[in-house]
Amino acid sequence: MRSVFQRISIIPALAVLLVIVAGTTSNAQDPRIQMSHLDHLAAKASETVDVNIDERLVQIAMKVFNDKDPDEAHIKKLVAGLKGIYVKSFEFDTDNQFNAADVDSIRNQLREPTWSRMVNVKSKRDSNVEVYISLSGSNINGLTVISFDPRELTVVNVVGPVDLEKLAQLEGSLGIPDLGVEITKPKTKNEEK
Amino acid sequence: MKHVAIPKLIGFGLVILLTTNLTHAKGDDFGSVVKMVEQFYNVKHQGIPFLARAGMKVVGTAAKIKGGTAKRLAEAGSIKLAVFEDQEFEGDFTRFRSSLNEALKQTWIPLVQTLSATDEEQAYIFVREKGDKFNVLVVTIGQREGTVVQATLCSKNLALLMRDPEGAGKNITDEATIIDNE
Repeated sequence: MRSVFQRISIIPALAVLLVIVAGTTSNAQDPRIQMSHLDHLAAKASETVDVNIDERLVQIAMKVFNDKDPDEAHIKKLVAGLKGIYVKSFEFDTDNQFNAADVDSIRNQLREPTWSRMVNVKSKRDSNVEVYISLSGSNINGLTVISFDPRELTVVNVVGPVDLEKLAQLEGSLGIPDLGVEITKPKTKNEEK
Repeated sequence: MKHVAIPKLIGFGLVILLTTNLTHAKGDDFGSVVKMVEQFYNVKHQGIPFLARAGMKVVGTAAKIKGGTAKRLAEAGSIKLAVFEDQEFEGDFTRFRSSLNEALKQTWIPLVQTLSATDEEQAYIFVREKGDKFNVLVVTIGQREGTVVQATLCSKNLALLMRDPEGAGKNITDEATIIDNE
């Protein structure tokens, strides 16, 4: 009898554990990152831009962009299959209005094994730029760009099958700012010497 | 007594009717947003007489649009407009943004929101589907003026809005604040 009661008490505990593990796993695979904790910077920023193209808006975009218009057809092709594009961008009149902890609050969500940092990227401007991709199996299912300099902080989070080249082509459309990110070619052995 | 009361009543009714048609700050989420702006900033939107007095400025905008590249985006007769002019918009705009987003999150999708602490300007664009067309809600608040505009867009013009949200959002507000003398 005692062992039966023990088993019964274990069952709910196991169920709770299962729910927690399932929750953690699904969070780990979700390439949508939280950016709301950067909102406090809006009070200090000279300009704040917040773009929120969620899955519903992507679906609407697929409906309203005209295949006969070359530009719209191109954007439509780029956003097809995406589940969201989220941008937060802050510009400041003076230096150092945000700190490392603000940037870390984003970086801390971009951890392995889900996220990997791309090493062969650089900024066309003098900003610091970090690009992370999220993989589901061998497919990219998310991309995050953090671009910052002393007077600017921009975070772009794209959920869905996207690569940096696609994102670069979307710059200037859908409220996505010009990130000035470029992929550098890996150095050959001769160049390294 | 009767002779005085009836014309007064008719006049009163007409004023109410015209106010409803021109300021459109009634019903729907549009009315709630106008109320929210009023309550949060302790301001009042203007009715017909004020808009009529503002005709000079409005005609100027119209002329600019006619001569410029701006195009009409809203479906005819679909614009709902509330204007706040020459009033103090003092308050924590980050708190206003949270309240606005919270109030509209069930029925509207936020597209783009821009804030400028330096210029104390805020702009919000929300979108929702309405049958085969789309509603767009544009809220702009400056230091001393603000507008709330709701308009219906066809697919083609929503595509323009999505491609260039800030430009098209401004275009819709400009279009709504024109008193068309054509």
